[in-house]
Amino acid sequence: MTFRWDILFRSLPYLWEGAQMTIRLTTTSVGAGFIIGTLLGMARICQYRPLRTLAAIYIDFIRGTPLLVQIFLVYMGLPQLLSFPMPRLTAAFLALSLNSGAYVAEIVRAGIQSVDPGQTEAALSLGCSNAQVMRYVILPQAFKRIIPPLGNEFIAMLKDSSLVSVIALEELVRRANIVITRTYRPFEIWLGVAFMYLIMTIAISRLVAYMERKLNIDV
Amino acid sequence: MFEIHDLHKHFGSLHVLKGITCSIAKGQVVVIIGPSGSGKSTFLRCLNLLEKPTGGTIYVDGVNITDPKTDIRKVRENVGMVFQRFNLFPHMTALENVAFAPLRVLHLSKEEARERALDLLVKVGLGDKADSYPDQLSGGQQQRVAIARALAMRPKAMLFDEPTSALDPEMIGEVLEVMKALAEEGMTMVVVTHEMGFAREVGDVVLFMDDGLIVEQAPPEIMFNCPSHDRTKAFLSKIL
Repeated sequence: MTFRWDILFRSLPYLWEGAQMTIRLTTTSVGAGFIIGTLLGMARICQYRPLRTLAAIYIDFIRGTPLLVQIFLVYMGLPQLLSFPMPRLTAAFLALSLNSGAYVAEIVRAGIQSVDPGQTEAALSLGCSNAQVMRYVILPQAFKRIIPPLGNEFIAMLKDSSLVSVIALEELVRRANIVITRTYRPFEIWLGVAFMYLIMTIAISRLVAYMERKLNIDV
Repeated sequence: MFEIHDLHKHFGSLHVLKGITCSIAKGQVVVIIGPSGSGKSTFLRCLNLLEKPTGGTIYVDGVNITDPKTDIRKVRENVGMVFQRFNLFPHMTALENVAFAPLRVLHLSKEEARERALDLLVKVGLGDKADSYPDQLSGGQQQRVAIARALAMRPKAMLFDEPTSALDPEMIGEVLEVMKALAEEGMTMVVVTHEMGFAREVGDVVLFMDDGLIVEQAPPEIMFNCPSHDRTKAFLSKIL
């Protein structure tokens, strides 16, 4: 049994382009998911009941169905419904953002609810509106606390983004498959890909740890 | 300043306030005492609608705050509140805490809000702590910042919900001093407290509450020396 690591090394630039796509896709999706999730998370605990129910249904649907099915639904289902062509990148971005939003919503909700109710009372007693309480008092404190779980979500999304290879978007896994069909060297390539993911996830958790120290989070 | 008529509060099946009627005049210092669970804090928190009464009416400075059409924010701007657990905003410095409401609620300029906040911090003896965060301050200092924060709205009345109960004994005095100075300036104050010395010295009227009702109200010298109700006597004999 001989290993052909040279094939892996020669494929690295090609794979690296795929990894860049993975990073770009994950970053933008988690970014959009963060905005969706913040709104959803606030909707989950707002006073307006229909909005609360709607948010809960959305979150349950996303968390209770496979991401793979969601990707197919967006990539193939939506174009049928709306009869317009869906570019792969748009579909991947949309599916991952919508998915991430549901998970981030629960993180944001927990973060908001972890802030002492006394904070809200103090702000209200000063004459603040509910929106001002949220913006100036609750969210700044909640965001500090949600950075660690948000980091975990980022890592999970980075790994799960490999699923969009099924719609032939050329991220890291898709490119690995392409290399393997040309070279028939699955072990070397997949091991290399595994390490590339590992390097990315370690980098993220280091970054999160650094931010935690910077913000002096004590949870 | 406050006119309260037949105030009721239910928490589910629990009947906490069972018809409270009283009036508090401008400039009066009213001290509320009573055993725990008697509804003192709930009553106080109804006065700025942090608790929604389930029955009765409350007029604050002539405005019926139990009327759903009343803009409660306007009322709260004029009624400051100090909490047992301080509830300072931990992500803001002492100065930012005090300047917060003038800046965001009254929309003063940054300089005006800052100036007002600094004056108040000096007034409560913490001019040198302006840039400290709450977790860098002692309990007594935090509570004094909290008082300054409430005063920054230039309220017509102040509510104190057991302001010294969470403090170490040696820090109680500094907070009571600030409250006393405030009373001497003529501030209308409603104070829920276990500090009988403060009640005696500063209070104009003492209310004794038990089981959701005002059992007795009298000036402190009468309340503490010759209470007329048995329940008042029993309570005072335990704590004095």
